Amino acid sequence: MEAAAGLIPPKPDLARMRRDRTGRIREVLREQGLDAAVFLGNTNVVYATGAIWPLSDASRTNFEQPVAVVLADDELPHLFSPNRADARIQADLPDDHVHGPAHLDFDEGVETFLPQLFDLVGEKASVAIDEWSHPLRRADVFIGPKGAPVDAGHIISKAKLIKTPDELACMRESLRITEEGIRQVHARLAPGVRQTELTATFLRTIFDAGADVNILDPIWQVMPNSIAEGPWTTTGDLALPLLSTERELARGDVLWVDLGISYEGVHSDFGRTWVVGQEPTDVQRGQFDRWRAVLEATLAVTKAGAKNSDLTAAATAANGGTKPWLPHFYLGHGLGIDSAEMPFVGSDIGEEFDASYVLEAGMVLVLEPVIWDDGECGYRSEEVVLITEDGWEPMTDYPYDPF
Amino acid sequence: MSITDVIPDDADLRAARRARVLDAMEAAGVDILITGREPNARYVAGVPRLWINGSRPFGPGCVIERRTGSIHLVSTWDEGVPDDIPHENLHGITFNRANTLAWLTTVEGAATAKTVATDGLMPSTLSLIRTAFPAADLVDGEQLMAGVRRLKLPEEVRAIRTSVRIAEHALAAAESTLGAGMTGRRLTAAFMEAMAEAGVTTPTTQDVAWITGRDRHWAQASRDTPIAVGDLVAFDAGLMADGYVGELGRTFAVGGLPPAARKLRQQWDELWDRLIEVCRPGASATALLDAYDASGAAPPPVPIARGLGLGNDLPFVTGVLRRTAASQTLETGMVLALTAYVWEQGVGAIYGQEPVVITDDGPELLSTRPFRDQKKG
Repeated sequence: MEAAAGLIPPKPDLARMRRDRTGRIREVLREQGLDAAVFLGNTNVVYATGAIWPLSDASRTNFEQPVAVVLADDELPHLFSPNRADARIQADLPDDHVHGPAHLDFDEGVETFLPQLFDLVGEKASVAIDEWSHPLRRADVFIGPKGAPVDAGHIISKAKLIKTPDELACMRESLRITEEGIRQVHARLAPGVRQTELTATFLRTIFDAGADVNILDPIWQVMPNSIAEGPWTTTGDLALPLLSTERELARGDVLWVDLGISYEGVHSDFGRTWVVGQEPTDVQRGQFDRWRAVLEATLAVTKAGAKNSDLTAAATAANGGTKPWLPHFYLGHGLGIDSAEMPFVGSDIGEEFDASYVLEAGMVLVLEPVIWDDGECGYRSEEVVLITEDGWEPMTDYPYDPF
Repeated sequence: MSITDVIPDDADLRAARRARVLDAMEAAGVDILITGREPNARYVAGVPRLWINGSRPFGPGCVIERRTGSIHLVSTWDEGVPDDIPHENLHGITFNRANTLAWLTTVEGAATAKTVATDGLMPSTLSLIRTAFPAADLVDGEQLMAGVRRLKLPEEVRAIRTSVRIAEHALAAAESTLGAGMTGRRLTAAFMEAMAEAGVTTPTTQDVAWITGRDRHWAQASRDTPIAVGDLVAFDAGLMADGYVGELGRTFAVGGLPPAARKLRQQWDELWDRLIEVCRPGASATALLDAYDASGAAPPPVPIARGLGLGNDLPFVTGVLRRTAASQTLETGMVLALTAYVWEQGVGAIYGQEPVVITDDGPELLSTRPFRDQKKG
């Protein structure tokens, strides 16, 4: 359990983190014979440049997104953003690597951007891109042999799998900030409190504590006792996550909590089961004990070299032969610059994938088994672990209160 | 009135929006429209879905077929889904491209569609579309949707007004905590708390307040820099209630506007008067940039006018896209966040943004306390 503990610095070195990440992208570029990669996806830009991006929700982000360019032969990334003089964005990039905004959702934006890009890499360069846009398609640039651009998203997917020590330090801080928020929310939990009021306390606390952004509208889902009492689903199983409203919580409500934040571009993930206004019943405690047993069985086989299918098999066996996770999600998922990223363990990508996917040291997994007794509700929490050569180590020791 | 259930958008609003989309598809000869961007999916389906921060890679989220008007939606459950989208048209969350492909082929007329539009593209989209819709050409659905959503229905303007009201409330709560030693971070925290206590938990920006730079035209101090007397502090308040964006911007200083900034405030007022004068039906969006030129102020590198609606709205006017500005005309029914920004070396900046609806009679401000009328700032 203590295998990699010494590898995580107590405080992240952000400049080193950025260098490590850009270095990995360039390594993949060179392996694939590419001259440059262009990134539009917000979290990919964060990965490539270290710039954070608190100005984004899905409503304005396509028209005003930051863009990153990484060159195979330049150790510093280029950032295109209106916020050239933002104190945080500029911290680690020289002026000649920070450019004005690139509006690639507009034809004129593409026309303005391309000459700047070609100044950096030359018109004949082979360039990959993570997201395309209709204006880029009209400009007929970056087209690879298959009539579409070479996908730069795969470059980040590959680069980000194994976390750098500084990313892990950021994740620890991200989890710490999240848990500070959760502690305040849990203290406020009582009959009569609204779901949105829990969110208010959470948001207030995480920003005060150092969060860059909140990454999803926090979930405080009141669970039904049986699947039939909940909404219809495509799977015939439980619905999760359902949106929070101004609904007042009632004594005895079982809440499934799910949320996350970002600190220096590294996400947290947090999941717990809470009971409103009273102590858990014996049945609920029994469900928690079974959840612990499933988690422990899964973790017993979790280590570098294990396959996804080793984990799903262990979890299923510990649950008496039934898969203990939601069929529209997974038993576990990766965590890093996205709140759910590869590796997905037990997802609908399929059993063949799980049987062939090998875990590596330095990956982070969020395990989220579910125990459900139809008619008597159930238990779900999330455990964030770092995969090591010998096994795993916990990324946080936050308790499972009230269990 | 508090909202305690997840419910679809109002039936009349849904019907009116869909009719516009179908008309635009007819006019453009689009058989099937695939939306992945949340503003477009919300417009078409009328279903609230989980808010997340940041951009999403493009993937089919909501599909509308022109001939039947049928809608397919990626949703594992039916909560918040209106009964005009039947269960068989709901498709669960998937991580597997083969499963996405499988449901796309169940869209009415998939095999014979001649023209399919998407509102976004990934490098892999072309091959996905060619496989699911073998007879179809792929065209730009974002242009189509942005055009449809450009002019707001009266019900949409009401929704934006509601969002603006809540944003004003939360901004006032944040402003009331402004004092020496405060930070942009803590002002953001205060805004978020007030917004959520008021029942809305979805911001459009999470950088709510910053100390404006004294040495550069458009600069932001770090979020943890303590605010001092004399600092000009910009507030950028934005949120989405029922999917609709309300945004406004203000600038305040601890203890009121310092004497050194009085001239700047006058300049702001003059610029604002020029900008708002432009906001009449028939005006070219370029006239907004001209107003900056005429007042001698350099526009900021962010949009000076940005449409308000479900998100990614037109008009979109920025000094770095002059030709795009020239191609847009202000029209009755547009709603936009209009920004006046002035800066002076050694003093800082005054940033003020108002939500404005264009009417036949001219501009109408949606905020209850327009910045132009506030003297304490």
